[in-house]
Amino acid sequence: MANLKVFGVVLVTIAIYTLLANAIPQVQSEVPEELSFGAGVTAEQLVTAGEQLYQGAGGCTACHGLGTRAPNLLTDEAGTGTIGVRCATRVMDKDCKAYLHDSLTEPGSFVVPGYGPIMTDMRRTLSGAQIWALIAYLQSLGGEVTVTGEDVAAAGNEGAGGGAPAGGGGAAGAALAGGSLDPVELLRAATCFVCHKLGEEGGPIGPPFDGIGARINADRIRRGILAPNADTAQGFEAMAGTMPPTFGQQFNAAQLEAVVQFLSSRK
Amino acid sequence: MNRVGKITIRLIGAVLGLGALALCLADPAVAQEAAGGVREYGNFPVIGSRAAVWIAAQVHLMFAAFVLGVPMFAVVVEGIGIATKDEKYDKLSKEFVRLLLIAYSATAIWGAILTMFLVTLYPRFWGHLSEIFEVSIWIYVGLFFVESFTLYLYYYGWDRWKKGGAKLMHLGLGILLNVFGTAVLFIADSWLSYMMSPPAEVTPDTAPGMVRLWSAITNATWMPINIHRIIANVVFGGAIAAGYAAIRFLNSTTDEERAHYDWMGYIGNFIAISALLVLPFAGYWLGREVYEYNQSMGITMMGGFMSWLWIIQAFLIGVLFLAANYYLWIGLGRIPGGERFVPYTKWMLLILVAGVIVWATPHTMIANRDELAQMGGTHHPFLGVLGVMSAKNTAVNLMILTTFLSFLMYRRANKAPVVSWAARGSLIQGIVLALAAGVVIFYGVYGYFVSAIVRIGFSVYQVGAVLITIVVVTVIDVMISRGAKSYGEIRWGRMPARSQYALFILVVTFTWLMGLMGFARSGIRQHWHIWEVMRDTSPWAATPALGSAAVVISTCVLIFLSMIAFIFWLGGLVEKPVLASARPAAVPGTGGLAPAHGE
Repeated sequence: MANLKVFGVVLVTIAIYTLLANAIPQVQSEVPEELSFGAGVTAEQLVTAGEQLYQGAGGCTACHGLGTRAPNLLTDEAGTGTIGVRCATRVMDKDCKAYLHDSLTEPGSFVVPGYGPIMTDMRRTLSGAQIWALIAYLQSLGGEVTVTGEDVAAAGNEGAGGGAPAGGGGAAGAALAGGSLDPVELLRAATCFVCHKLGEEGGPIGPPFDGIGARINADRIRRGILAPNADTAQGFEAMAGTMPPTFGQQFNAAQLEAVVQFLSSRK
Repeated sequence: MNRVGKITIRLIGAVLGLGALALCLADPAVAQEAAGGVREYGNFPVIGSRAAVWIAAQVHLMFAAFVLGVPMFAVVVEGIGIATKDEKYDKLSKEFVRLLLIAYSATAIWGAILTMFLVTLYPRFWGHLSEIFEVSIWIYVGLFFVESFTLYLYYYGWDRWKKGGAKLMHLGLGILLNVFGTAVLFIADSWLSYMMSPPAEVTPDTAPGMVRLWSAITNATWMPINIHRIIANVVFGGAIAAGYAAIRFLNSTTDEERAHYDWMGYIGNFIAISALLVLPFAGYWLGREVYEYNQSMGITMMGGFMSWLWIIQAFLIGVLFLAANYYLWIGLGRIPGGERFVPYTKWMLLILVAGVIVWATPHTMIANRDELAQMGGTHHPFLGVLGVMSAKNTAVNLMILTTFLSFLMYRRANKAPVVSWAARGSLIQGIVLALAAGVVIFYGVYGYFVSAIVRIGFSVYQVGAVLITIVVVTVIDVMISRGAKSYGEIRWGRMPARSQYALFILVVTFTWLMGLMGFARSGIRQHWHIWEVMRDTSPWAATPALGSAAVVISTCVLIFLSMIAFIFWLGGLVEKPVLASARPAAVPGTGGLAPAHGE
């Protein structure tokens, strides 16, 4: 009988620990997807693939997402703008593309004042194509994407990710909602309703879309989509930083304007 | 040599034979074939190759920790027996080693299984590793062989070399056993730590044959892992020995047996908890070396996808503190005089529970939109305050102080000091303890008002205050207890069954924690067999989430505990337990003031 009780204690204890570990948020560490872009790759394809790396397997957000260990690349840094804006002015005589490439492959060559030299050489973990995709994405955050298919092709199989492509050609920059210009369809496809409420649809996390045109003008709405951390809506200060700054990148220019005009008409 | 010994020798022989075969299979020709693209990975049915290797490695490590940890305190206990000329320590030491003897073959079997799995399921990786470390692998095999026979000499020579110089020679064998065991541990650690932190000059293009062996061995995390594992092995060995004693206690049929296994359980628990208190410092060193070696790896470990793992770890360590203290508090009931400390235990329980709650509070919560709306932000307005390091460091240091106080109460329970300065000494002890708690709380609160870099330094003051207090208060207590009168002998064996179940919870929790930390150490390499040198391109390269890992960890714990229960049962069939002369329960009410009997 005693042995049976011991067995029961052991089983119950193990079960509790297993259930507890399954009750917490589950995060798996993914393997960076191999990219097989050729010279014909578009900027949109590179930006989309770069964003996936930045937000996921590239591991960038562990430091750059907090703004304490490393500069936050997605938001303004001491009035110098997002990384796509400030990259060209960081080092004299070095354009944005060259600066970002050096930052990823020779991180010790320039360290932003106020931060430690903790950045690793990303060639040890990412392929040349992956590094160029990241650069394209960072450029797209407020700047012009100048990375080209020639850069990617020239990189060849350099870096750790070189070798056999895993197929798929990376993420294609397909237009959101099939290129639709229907603003409600676009807001739905861009998952805006997860946080914002419009009529009966949407959640309470962010400011409601109903009446937004009466509260702020079209410019503020546009900025709120492209650089959501630039302003904070009254009454939602505690949610500052919650909205991913990448949502605006999902729209093409025509779609963005359609959404902005639609929202500014909600008075 | 008895039957168990012969069976064990045969098993070891078979395992060494298999191991040699495995090494032959790792011939460079095989590795070249793998590198030539013929085969990089094998496929284990149903559970996949990663889970197969994971389980084999983890169960092997659990057995290895046990067989390396036990000799460390067994030889110390034998030494105490020689110094005090008290035979009960000698018998206890022998019983510890008897557990070791039987578990040794299981360690070797799982080691061979692991080797086989690596050779057949990860041939490219194995070829790479064996080419770099081949000389150390040969030395490892030789040391393993020598260690085995030293163990046999140590155990089977116990009764033959019992007196005078022969006894000292026997003690020397025990020390030698530890030397060989530690060398085996250090060599195996060099292989796994190389996977975590290969030397900077090694790149994906470096041919394995060009990597210098000594450079590969003395990599950045090698020594921190060595030290961490030595301490953790003592913790684990003590806990398993206590678990063994508990099950024997519950199945005892005589007072003599109950007294012996009650005492053995207490000693095992004492060893485990004492070593556990210093383990975090080795852990900090290892963590710091990981950060020094590669910031990305360190951040992945503490702030990346593994950040929630530390909340689970906090919960498990909380269980350890609660169970260990509970066991000690129940133990006061078997000590005449212990009842005067019982009223304090409810307050100590309060401190421990509050400490666990604070320690297990996450700082940043991954929440869904409804939870975000309810919290009013990404940080919980109340819990966010408790989730920072200032609060956690304060909580854990107060928990350590509380546990130390439990040991102190236990130690003083049946003693009536006779030295003239006893009252003043006790007062000083109380003041020192209160001062330590004050320092811990002061820097905990102050930490909220300074920058992070200053706050990190405060943890040194907190830990320093606690460690100094433990040393000072213990020294005073030893001096106060000189010549103390006793309220009566400890009634070994007079423990309720629930105390033994607390020991089992400790065993399961230690074992599970070991599996969890194994996942943490190995998982921070993410999709690399060898960090930034050899990429894992297998279908199992992604590092699983904690929920999936927990299933594998629990499987390993179940396999290990089932096997060790079977092994202990098998040992009991062949050989009668060696009973120490710990006295059975004294008749209650006879606790007059007699010379104190050491516990």
